[in-house]
Amino acid sequence: MEQPPEKVIETITAIEEMAEDVLADRRQMIELDRKRQKMREAASFNFSFSRSLRKDKTKQKKWVCFGNMFVKLSKQQTVCLVDKEFDSLDEEICNIRTGIRAKVNKLRDSESKEEIRGFHLQALTKDELESLEAVL
Amino acid sequence: MARRSPLPSIPCFKMAAPPVQVQEVREVTRIERIGAHSHIRGLGLDDALEARNVSQGMVGQTSARRAAGIVLEMIKEGKIAGRAVLLAGQPGTGKTAIAMGMAQALGQGTPFTAIAGSEIFSLEMSKTEALTQAFRKSIGVRIKEETEIIEGEVVEIQIDKPAVGTGAKVGKLTLKTTEMETVYDLGQKMIESLTKEKVHAGDIITIDKATGKITKLGRSFTRARDYDAMGSTTKFVQCPEGELQKRKEVVHTVSLHEIDVINSRTQGFLALFSGDTGEIKSEVREQINSKVAEWREEGKAEIVPGVLFIDEVHMLDIECFSFLNRALETDMAPVLIMATNRGITRIRGTNYQSPHGVPIDLLDRLLIVSTSPYEEREIKQILKIRAEEEDVEISDDAVTVLTRIGMETSLRYAIQLITTAHLVCRRRKGTEVSVEDIKRVYSLFLDESRSTQFLKEYQQEFMFHEVGKCESAICCYSTANLGYLEKVNRDKTPVADILSLDSIDHRNKVHDDDDDDDLQGYFGLTIYSEAIRRRPAQPYDPGVARSKTEQGSHPLVQTLDRDETIKSHQN
Repeated sequence: MEQPPEKVIETITAIEEMAEDVLADRRQMIELDRKRQKMREAASFNFSFSRSLRKDKTKQKKWVCFGNMFVKLSKQQTVCLVDKEFDSLDEEICNIRTGIRAKVNKLRDSESKEEIRGFHLQALTKDELESLEAVL
Repeated sequence: MARRSPLPSIPCFKMAAPPVQVQEVREVTRIERIGAHSHIRGLGLDDALEARNVSQGMVGQTSARRAAGIVLEMIKEGKIAGRAVLLAGQPGTGKTAIAMGMAQALGQGTPFTAIAGSEIFSLEMSKTEALTQAFRKSIGVRIKEETEIIEGEVVEIQIDKPAVGTGAKVGKLTLKTTEMETVYDLGQKMIESLTKEKVHAGDIITIDKATGKITKLGRSFTRARDYDAMGSTTKFVQCPEGELQKRKEVVHTVSLHEIDVINSRTQGFLALFSGDTGEIKSEVREQINSKVAEWREEGKAEIVPGVLFIDEVHMLDIECFSFLNRALETDMAPVLIMATNRGITRIRGTNYQSPHGVPIDLLDRLLIVSTSPYEEREIKQILKIRAEEEDVEISDDAVTVLTRIGMETSLRYAIQLITTAHLVCRRRKGTEVSVEDIKRVYSLFLDESRSTQFLKEYQQEFMFHEVGKCESAICCYSTANLGYLEKVNRDKTPVADILSLDSIDHRNKVHDDDDDDDLQGYFGLTIYSEAIRRRPAQPYDPGVARSKTEQGSHPLVQTLDRDETIKSHQN
């Protein structure tokens, strides 16, 4: 089927845009994970360095950096803040993950590639997996 | 079906071994994989489902291939199950080849089970059980497994043991990927697993977040030069990319039969390997069906209806056919492809005759695809492809001779002559197979029609010979060939006659001596019978050049020119 060159360029541009989108999402996820790990480190309980907040026995106030502003907050507040940040990052990563799935599907569709088999399936729970363990 | 896979790399050969060694290994592997249909890679259809004349190992037979392509699309959609297709045609017309082509075209994702009709008759399990198992082997269930894992390269492990007493060990594990690096605190259990797995700095590990299981994937390339000598099992893996904590999703396809076996007894999984499954209770199957249906509702599983190919379906008896009728109507039924080369025969288990040996009510449910015998140029093409597959260099004259042989005797006989001629050629240290080699093997190995001629003449010499009975036995054995040959030469016989290879009328017609004139156009057979009739006393040697004084001469001693030999015969 002959298509006029403008239409071809349009299709290719659309595909490239979608691909850029998917890649951007992917990088986003990596960045978020990096932040999440740092949050986890900061708030962790067993960290042998005395940097970790929960292990810190002193009642000193901690410096917290917001963008280009430094604020001194009590230890409890900082711990609370860090925890909340960790949770919100987790949530955001989950959201991006579901979003990326839909985008990849759309991309493959526009590239006329076959859909990845089993992409849309829900995962099996642990006991269900156990019953099939021997086969897998 | 054996699929060609690239030879796995053998790291120890990379460095020192001379190239000859690797070559040998490769040849052995190749010979093991050559079968009668191993040259087929697919159906050879283009995007519009039109069959290309020579493609992917398939030659000719375009209408049957196109029909098969449409069936294939149906299967790929996956929504239509419980359909049945029958491939019918003379022996040697590519029915099994088309089924193999379909299997290759479907790929690994769709379950494809191939059985022969006689396989279901086993002492260990009943026929219906064998059929049910075959049906359930061809239905796949697709499920997904998801795990959160932490994957990275170990930079440093630091474990602190308490100096005094037996306190808990504490530790730090630094993991990195190409993008980031972080530190994890280790508890008692994790420290134990790490020491058990013998994880060191530079290893690439995966920690399952849910179970805490540690898997070593290998060592990082950057640490390859750390030590001068490594263990034999050390693998080198690239440093992981992206984030440390990722979600891994794996999609599996299991067949319903496998799930049945696992759940039918305690040591279920061993039965999968030994094959001794025995009879599986229908309650177990019901339970599994309902479970899978439940998963389907929840979106956790997907049914993948595959293909069940039954070859020689005329071997099934009436009970099996009734069972098939019903089984095709259940909702978990695969696409059934059957193949047969029988004409109007008796249905096993009854005394009734029916087309293809299949009862009419089942025939009603089928889509019938018929295959026709190959043309001369198609046979030539097929022979060339087989020669290539079997790695045989063959000259063009030899191919022409082989094609003629294939036309007169059968395609399979000609294919078998290829490798044998190649061996003869190697013996005389030739480079490519020539007409001489073909002549030699033609004389050494009889095809079916020559063999029956020989038997007819010399049946007194053979053991347990019974006159009369033997004759009719030989006769019906050779009608298959003769019927085919008649069609080739005189395209006037109606198709029903061709397919009714076992019918009594046809048998009598051909065996009648008066009909020899009818076979005159077919020089090979006629001349033989003349030659043999004239000299019954001498031992039969099909390869010996007969003297010119005789009228009938060996077809291959002269150049194979049909008109010439007919003229000499008529003189």
